[in-house]
Amino acid sequence: MIQYAAIVLFVLGLYGLVINRNLIKMIVSLNVMEIGLNLFIISIGFVYDGVAPIITSTNTVGAVLFVDPLPQALVLTAIVIGVGTTALALAIAKGFYTRYNTYDLSKAEEDL
Amino acid sequence: MSAVLLIAIPLLAAFLSILSKKIAPYLLLAAALFNLVIMFFLPEGFVVIGGFIEPLGINLLFDTYAKIALFLVDGLILVITILNLKAYGKFATVLLLALASLNGLVLTNDLFNLFVFLEIAGIASYLISSSNRKPGHTFHYLVLGAVGSSLYLFGLIILYAMFGTLNMVDLIDKIILNGNYGNLVLPFVLMFIGLGVEAKLLPFNSWVKGVLGKSNTMSGPMIASVYAGAIAFAFGRLINNLFQFQGTLLTVVLVILFLGIVLGEAMAFAATKVRELLLFSDVAQASIIALLFVNGIVIWAVYLIIANAISKLVMFLVINKAAHDTGTDDMNDLQGLFSKNILVGITFTVVALSIIGMPLFAGFVIKLSFLSQLAQSGQIAAIAIILLASLVEGIYFVRLLVKLWYKGDKEVSVNYNLSFKVVFIIVALGLLVFGTYRAPLDKLDNSIDTVAEVINNG
Repeated sequence: MIQYAAIVLFVLGLYGLVINRNLIKMIVSLNVMEIGLNLFIISIGFVYDGVAPIITSTNTVGAVLFVDPLPQALVLTAIVIGVGTTALALAIAKGFYTRYNTYDLSKAEEDL
Repeated sequence: MSAVLLIAIPLLAAFLSILSKKIAPYLLLAAALFNLVIMFFLPEGFVVIGGFIEPLGINLLFDTYAKIALFLVDGLILVITILNLKAYGKFATVLLLALASLNGLVLTNDLFNLFVFLEIAGIASYLISSSNRKPGHTFHYLVLGAVGSSLYLFGLIILYAMFGTLNMVDLIDKIILNGNYGNLVLPFVLMFIGLGVEAKLLPFNSWVKGVLGKSNTMSGPMIASVYAGAIAFAFGRLINNLFQFQGTLLTVVLVILFLGIVLGEAMAFAATKVRELLLFSDVAQASIIALLFVNGIVIWAVYLIIANAISKLVMFLVINKAAHDTGTDDMNDLQGLFSKNILVGITFTVVALSIIGMPLFAGFVIKLSFLSQLAQSGQIAAIAIILLASLVEGIYFVRLLVKLWYKGDKEVSVNYNLSFKVVFIIVALGLLVFGTYRAPLDKLDNSIDTVAEVINNG
């Protein structure tokens, strides 16, 4: 079920990117889309009644159900990359504002 | 020594280059040169990282296919760095990041690792495009690049949920065992679109006009030849081995590629600015390359990638230098550019004639060979479209050459450095040599990509 919520978030983010011309709103949309994707990845590794995949004296191999740890590792990487992209997008947006005195892409259309 | 050094050394150099801006360009030169030399001493095969034997962990695949790709990418970055040492020295850290990520992109055998390298290469290319000083275009490129890589990741995660592996060879093996291709349409379409954004395939390439249409002597060749080459190699490996285009999906992909060829050439024909003409020609070439990979013609697709990369390097250098010195790239304003730069004009003409596919040039040998292979596999529609595209290509390139050779009312004065001229001459000679002596090209065949062989041998 959570996968549908993640897909809805992803599509919402994509929709936001298409309809917005304001750079900051577009960056927010990009982040909403990435959060949707990250939730989707996490949901892939989810197991009902599963425990953290750490072997202890009580959690031995075969005795309990572990959740898949790989999607969690993938999401960590995806989050870090997303933060990097967002930071760069904000820097470019600032450069755009310095040049055109607006965050609206359509108002600088003649130069685009 | 391990092929990991091909990624690790440029990455280390990128971090070190932040400490001193003065030595950064020299670190870039040293890293690119190191990669070009070390490549000849590395053994071919899988490279295990961290002791995790495949399919666990990340591993690299260093075969002849990857070697050719690395040689092209590292060689071109070295040349572009030497030519732009003074003007764009401050971009050395970014170029080192691009070098590391593009090497990783063509080497990796792990599909999530490919996403990571795609993102790093993307970040480096957004920074490279920022040298055009058009923040709106750079932002547009960033958004499309981020959406493209997100779609690729979406498709990949669906595949992981289905097969439980991220290792490319292992995944292909499991897909073959599973045999049910019907469920794979969605992930393959998502991954194809995701990679199609960076590979400049129509209709996912709306960023190209803004970025390459305003490029300079560093960003133009970097994105039009280095990035185009590296992404085409990585994309080609996936098309040839992973994507099982069949039935309706194959038809849809072929229609997208045919449209890419026809519309790319049509837009190049309609262009009045030289850089726009070149970038739309590049879009059409990218679709032809993808079409060859879809049909399993690996070796001629590889030669076409190389020919296209070195040709676009020369063309974007010539035009971007002229646009820098004159302030315009309008075809009418650059009329008579070659009347004073005869040597540059001759090399540009050789490169243009090679792209069209005129006899005596490498482009002819490549085009003839892949057309005959397409004929053998009965792809008449593809042949007809490529021939039509060649005809249109011939018309607009000849029209461009006539404009640039014949003197107009205004005098166009552009000074090309000796280093630029040396590069132009080497590329033109290379295209002439391989156009008249094709024996070395015939030595390699489709087996340079060893993924299928590894799977067949278990």
